[in-house]
Amino acid sequence: MPQSEYVVQMKGITKVYPNGIAANQGVDFNVRRGEIHALMGENGAGKSTLMKMLFGLEQPTEGEIIVNGETVNLSSPTVAIAKGIGMVHQHFMLVPSLTVAENMVLGMAPKKKGLFIDMDKAIAITEEYAKKYNLHVDPKAKVVDIPVGMKQKVEILKALVRGAKILILDEPTAVLTTQETAELFRELVQLKEQGFTIIFISHKLNEIKQITDRLTIMRGGKSMGVYNTAEISMEEISRLMVGRDVILTVEKDKAAPTDEVLRVENLEYTNDWNKKMLDRVSFSVRKGEILGVAGVEGNGQRELVDMLFNLNVPDSGTVTVNGKSIVGLPQRKIRDAGVSLIPEDRMLYGIADRGTIEDNLISNRIYQKEYNKGLLFDMKAIHEMSDRLIEDYRVLCKSRNQQVKMLSGGNIQKVVVAREFSSGPVLIIADQPTRGIDVGATEFIRKKLVELSRAGAAVLLVSADLNEVMELSDSLIVMNGGHIAAYFEDTSALTDEEMGEYMLGLKRQSDEEIGKVLYAK
Amino acid sequence: MRNKRMFLFEAARGFAAILLALAVAVIFIALCTDDVGGALEQMLLRPLFAKNGTFNANSLWVVLSRMIPTIFTGLAVCVMFSANQFNLAAEGGVMLGGFLATLVGIYVPMAAGLHLVVCLLVGAVAAALTMLLPALLKVKLGASEMVSSLMLNYIIMYVVLHFLNNNFADRSKGSTQTFPFLQTAAVPDLVPNTDLTWGFVIALVFVALVAVFLFRTRWGYAIRMIGINQAFSKYSGMKVGSVIVLSQVIGGFLAGLGGGIEVLGRYSTFLWRELPGYGWTGVTIAILAKNNPLMVPFAAFFMAYLERGCELMRTNAGVPAEMLDIIQAVIFLFFAAEQFLARYRQKLVVKGAREEMKQAFDSEAAAKGGNA
Repeated sequence: MPQSEYVVQMKGITKVYPNGIAANQGVDFNVRRGEIHALMGENGAGKSTLMKMLFGLEQPTEGEIIVNGETVNLSSPTVAIAKGIGMVHQHFMLVPSLTVAENMVLGMAPKKKGLFIDMDKAIAITEEYAKKYNLHVDPKAKVVDIPVGMKQKVEILKALVRGAKILILDEPTAVLTTQETAELFRELVQLKEQGFTIIFISHKLNEIKQITDRLTIMRGGKSMGVYNTAEISMEEISRLMVGRDVILTVEKDKAAPTDEVLRVENLEYTNDWNKKMLDRVSFSVRKGEILGVAGVEGNGQRELVDMLFNLNVPDSGTVTVNGKSIVGLPQRKIRDAGVSLIPEDRMLYGIADRGTIEDNLISNRIYQKEYNKGLLFDMKAIHEMSDRLIEDYRVLCKSRNQQVKMLSGGNIQKVVVAREFSSGPVLIIADQPTRGIDVGATEFIRKKLVELSRAGAAVLLVSADLNEVMELSDSLIVMNGGHIAAYFEDTSALTDEEMGEYMLGLKRQSDEEIGKVLYAK
Repeated sequence: MRNKRMFLFEAARGFAAILLALAVAVIFIALCTDDVGGALEQMLLRPLFAKNGTFNANSLWVVLSRMIPTIFTGLAVCVMFSANQFNLAAEGGVMLGGFLATLVGIYVPMAAGLHLVVCLLVGAVAAALTMLLPALLKVKLGASEMVSSLMLNYIIMYVVLHFLNNNFADRSKGSTQTFPFLQTAAVPDLVPNTDLTWGFVIALVFVALVAVFLFRTRWGYAIRMIGINQAFSKYSGMKVGSVIVLSQVIGGFLAGLGGGIEVLGRYSTFLWRELPGYGWTGVTIAILAKNNPLMVPFAAFFMAYLERGCELMRTNAGVPAEMLDIIQAVIFLFFAAEQFLARYRQKLVVKGAREEMKQAFDSEAAAKGGNA
């Protein structure tokens, strides 16, 4: 009986968004009962869109969705939940100021005397489910205080409490440490054994191989087919995902660092919640080298970058670029000193989304003589510059007048990178430069970074992607709890395991060893 | 091709909004009068055409003259809204600009030509400086410019009325007004013996100036980018606080200029005893024009036409003046409603996307064919 074999069938799904982007084109997607099924593809391949339709957040323009053999109209998440579908979003949908138990029962809270929330019962429910599915959470803790891994468990439990039999996990490991990922995988396998069906969205090949039964690959809004995980090689998956064999190693010559460009000494910062985010951070970056900053997110990297661009003010410490202090300077002065920044949050800092591509390319150079004729813009010079950058950085677009928000993530990041790299920087701060973008754009941006450093720029590369930071950096510091936990002058002999121990705070180098990153003048 | 189709759709959508609004208006008109057809004729045709169907130039001059102050306030609001500053003090700016321009016109005699320019500049600069209040309160203290500018309107009004009543009133007149300003300060007529003055031409010149400012200068660019994303603008190196202040000061300047031109063009004394309402109309116009200065004259024409039509409907068909507000509100509602005809729009978008996909496929296929 085919009806019982598939718990979810999506037939001929097409989705066109109001901005004209066709995110899905005639996609077929089937999931068997009780399997872990991976949905793979690059960013912008249409995975999230497909799953949003399965969870009722979006409605298909065309096509049919069949759940448990019944054609359904998933007009809202409420309907989807009633059909036994639960989704754990990449960005958690939890109320930070409420406790775990309160989040669990949100919208379906047990009542006391018909009016008040029965908190004891909420806690009891939470504990019952946590035990039943072996997902350990602290019901009384506030969500704001618990680690990311536990937040994810709360999300999964939330779905289970609401009766989900089919769980959609949208890139669940993106925010987790290696250890947390391993734990999550154990839990998912247990859930599978208890009869749950899990749809796992990811673009990390090794994870997929490790945990899934079957996989569906998407590219450019279309399905590239369904495969048994055991019978397909990583290379084959990679080829189907991007349409060519991706070489993710970037070739680079050995660095020949010369003069010191950036010098950071004894940077200290305690945040508004009285947590010490930066603790005596000192390092320097020289002309012609890439210094990587590795670490699990939330260990002071974001604060460090903010201080370097005056988006936040340190409690104490000095930052100099080519010998001149830049602490407290307006961003325009910092840019004049030759500093470029690829910001971590590209939608917040990187672009003006409703502006055109051209608007977004000139933002850091509008005061320059080159682009002005007296009071007016020199439109000819600006158009030429835009067209040149679009071509040089291979931004896929209709024209320079296209709104930047209409581009895919990778192309948006190329716009940011084009702007920041082309201003003749002496220091490039690249904060998560390739996060969440497709393989092609990633490769392009990484190559450019190496190219610029070899041409004489100093590069500070902050990345939570271990592969990236180890591959690109000439030397490397590891941050843990606001400290620099380790400094490696040469990254070529480093292993993942060794890095992991420093990142998780299991090991720490002596101050003397770390001190070497402050090159003597 | 897709853009052209979307443009046609937007135009059709605007037209449909007007038709629907009129349909609703008919219901209200039917409540006030038996002769609905006659009333509608007054409202829709009479502003431009006489009873026998011939073109009525005089009436057109009236409509065009009504646009003068609202083009200025529309532009003022455009600039401020572009920077995402919901400053509503264009209203007060008009009144202050008109009052001070008149005073200079009365008490500071100067050579013809120069006099008018000085009058207008004094009014405009004063209104611009007044805008520093809500702007600096916003930038330095984080106070909402919407609230403070709204309050500012009434402060301006009562300060102006205070000086008008106690210091500058012409006691020989039945109603409170100033002495007449000198002829050297009057805005000359564009069409003799009508209200249509050279102010109309100045207004159109400012449309072009503001458009160039917003789209072709670094300051206008900064205003637009800050309106889209402040964090991005700061990170890019723009002085966000200064630009926010600048946008509101420019808004004040335009509103004050509009007020001066209106008083010195239409009247012979300053006789406003309450806020004239052009600032509010300016907000409507800016929204209709989607903050694009080049669209402001069209929106202003639409509003002026509607106003004139309702006025005629009141005089000749006995429909009360309040009807104008209702009809305006209805039209505005349909225009501003993003979701109006959204389903049809979605269909168009889908069609466009399909064609594009097909084209891409075809060209891909063609390319392959070429290689083989």
